[in-house]
Amino acid sequence: MSQWLNEVIESASATSDFLAPVRKQSLRSLGQMGWPGRRNEAWRFTPLTSLDKRQVKHSQSATSAEVPVIEGLDALELVFVDGKLTTDIETLAAPEGVSVSSFANLDDKQQQVASDLFGQIKPHHHVFGLVNDIASEQGIFIDVAEGVTVDKVIRITNTVTQDVDAHTRILVRIGKGASAKIFEDGQGAQASMSTAFSEFAIEDNAHLEHYRFAMMTGEAMQVGGTHFRLGNESTLNSTVVGYGSELSRLDVDIIHAGEHANAKMNAVYLLAEGELFDLHSNIEHAVPNGVTEENARGIIGDRARAVFNGRIHIHRDAQNTLAELNNRNLLLSRRGIINTKPELEIYADDVKCAHGATVAEIDDEALFYLLTRGVERSKALVMLNFGFIQELVNQMPDAAIREWLLPKLSERFAHMEVK
Amino acid sequence: MLKINNLHASVEDKTIIKGLDLEVKPGEVHAIMGPNGAGKSTLGYVLSGRDGYEVSEGSVELEGADLLDMEVEERAQAGLFLAFQYPVEIPGVSNMEFMKESVNAIREQQGKESLTAAEFLKKAKAACKQVQLPLDFLKRGVNEGFSGGEKKRNEIMQMILLEPKLAILDESDSGLDVDALQVVADGVNSQRDGERSFIVVTHYQRLLDYIKPDFVHILADGKIVKSGDASLAHEVEKSGYAFLGKKYEEAEA
Repeated sequence: MSQWLNEVIESASATSDFLAPVRKQSLRSLGQMGWPGRRNEAWRFTPLTSLDKRQVKHSQSATSAEVPVIEGLDALELVFVDGKLTTDIETLAAPEGVSVSSFANLDDKQQQVASDLFGQIKPHHHVFGLVNDIASEQGIFIDVAEGVTVDKVIRITNTVTQDVDAHTRILVRIGKGASAKIFEDGQGAQASMSTAFSEFAIEDNAHLEHYRFAMMTGEAMQVGGTHFRLGNESTLNSTVVGYGSELSRLDVDIIHAGEHANAKMNAVYLLAEGELFDLHSNIEHAVPNGVTEENARGIIGDRARAVFNGRIHIHRDAQNTLAELNNRNLLLSRRGIINTKPELEIYADDVKCAHGATVAEIDDEALFYLLTRGVERSKALVMLNFGFIQELVNQMPDAAIREWLLPKLSERFAHMEVK
Repeated sequence: MLKINNLHASVEDKTIIKGLDLEVKPGEVHAIMGPNGAGKSTLGYVLSGRDGYEVSEGSVELEGADLLDMEVEERAQAGLFLAFQYPVEIPGVSNMEFMKESVNAIREQQGKESLTAAEFLKKAKAACKQVQLPLDFLKRGVNEGFSGGEKKRNEIMQMILLEPKLAILDESDSGLDVDALQVVADGVNSQRDGERSFIVVTHYQRLLDYIKPDFVHILADGKIVKSGDASLAHEVEKSGYAFLGKKYEEAEA
């Protein structure tokens, strides 16, 4: 067991609220499971050495932080700074049919719904998910009523301004036939340790447009999870964007619990020198007639490391499943590393399933060609190699988020050296 | 315009260019012919600055500036253009985006204002028509899925847009039928304005029926072994490279 985890457990045991039964259960599981080492398959390529000796640090003073404004984005903004909710959520003007509340202010009925979500969608094997179960004092519950279409994007930003341990939690229910857009944004470079987990119940015929940007960099360690449960004929369109940091890990689970659900997920990661980003995605087709399309593409800089694990699990009864998974990587240096592993487990016999993973290096010939036309080297590299990332970014449904993100990514890339 | 002095260059420690001299004045068209393996393509790559092509001796000046001291992109910005024998396919980068970036990078270097999207589009469309490529080629990935002839025409289109001071055409005729050859030659001839210079590298005399050279040089074993006017090309066409000696006679056969 690590020093850090011991301290987390000690300081979290006191938390007592309507989620206490689940928290207690998670505490027990955590005790049994212990600290994941390199022999643990889920953590084989992502060392936790910078975390396991860490001392838990509680936020000393209330702080506020400027969250980058996204021009043209009609958003309901919720902000966590150093793990504390700084938005005055109770006076927030939520769109009609949407309730947004902190865990501390839920009425009995809401508590009932929230406890049906908390720890119920996220699989139990995520160690840091269990950590978040026991340590997330601050959380937000978003409930979109049946049949309601919300045009505003609900943006939840997590940012760090001081060296703290921050644990935040989001629970979302998209009621039957409802439609919503939710954007989980993570920003900051301050040395810290945060976990941010979210669980989404997308009910029958509901639709979720989702973004998760894991953009903490530098010494900001972040381990997060986004977990979806799809009802009958529901749809999910999710875009993940990852930067790397000393430790940056994201687990995404998409669970097809209802038939004829359609899940599309695009992930893009862009790792500058020395960064680490680990994306584990797991798609569970538990019932027939589900569709999943997942594309993950990354560019890995000098001495940076990307880990991609894409699992698709098609259960025995999940006939007529259509599932595709593709992962493409570009290494900018011989010292960059990608560990990619597509994993298909298929127990049904009438399914269509495809997967692929590729790793490429800079194409010298193409680069030379562009240079002979007078294009500046940095620009040429962006044109040549950014294209395949851009292709996924261009598929993001929200134009304002897309327009905001693209220049950020291309600038980050332009500063990455090819070695 | 271009002065090459006693140039020696090697690829992977193998010396290919062995003491080449050439002077090209503004407005002149020089043809460089020669048997396979003489170093024709190597010359184009050395002049454009390709990685792995090492110059061990000699100098090259473009309008008085040391060409060999420049980066690849700086050479292009200084007015050098190389039409590739085998243009590379770059899926994911549109011709349009590429050429706009390129034209403006060069304009910026020459102290001219960048073209707006509309201005550029107008020029690009005209150039596209001139080399008889369908307009949708502008939107397609660079050379992506183009036939051999289309790639060659795309090179000429780029030349027209970039308005270089010196263009090197590396076997722009290879793999072309007569009609395509005519299009390529017309494109080149349209750019002859008394100032712009050309080095036309070719294995065959055929192209020179369409692009009339002022001088013809025979490159063999890394050196220019014979120079003359256009009639030299006809001589080569008739009797091959046999006059270079037995070695080349065999190589040709």
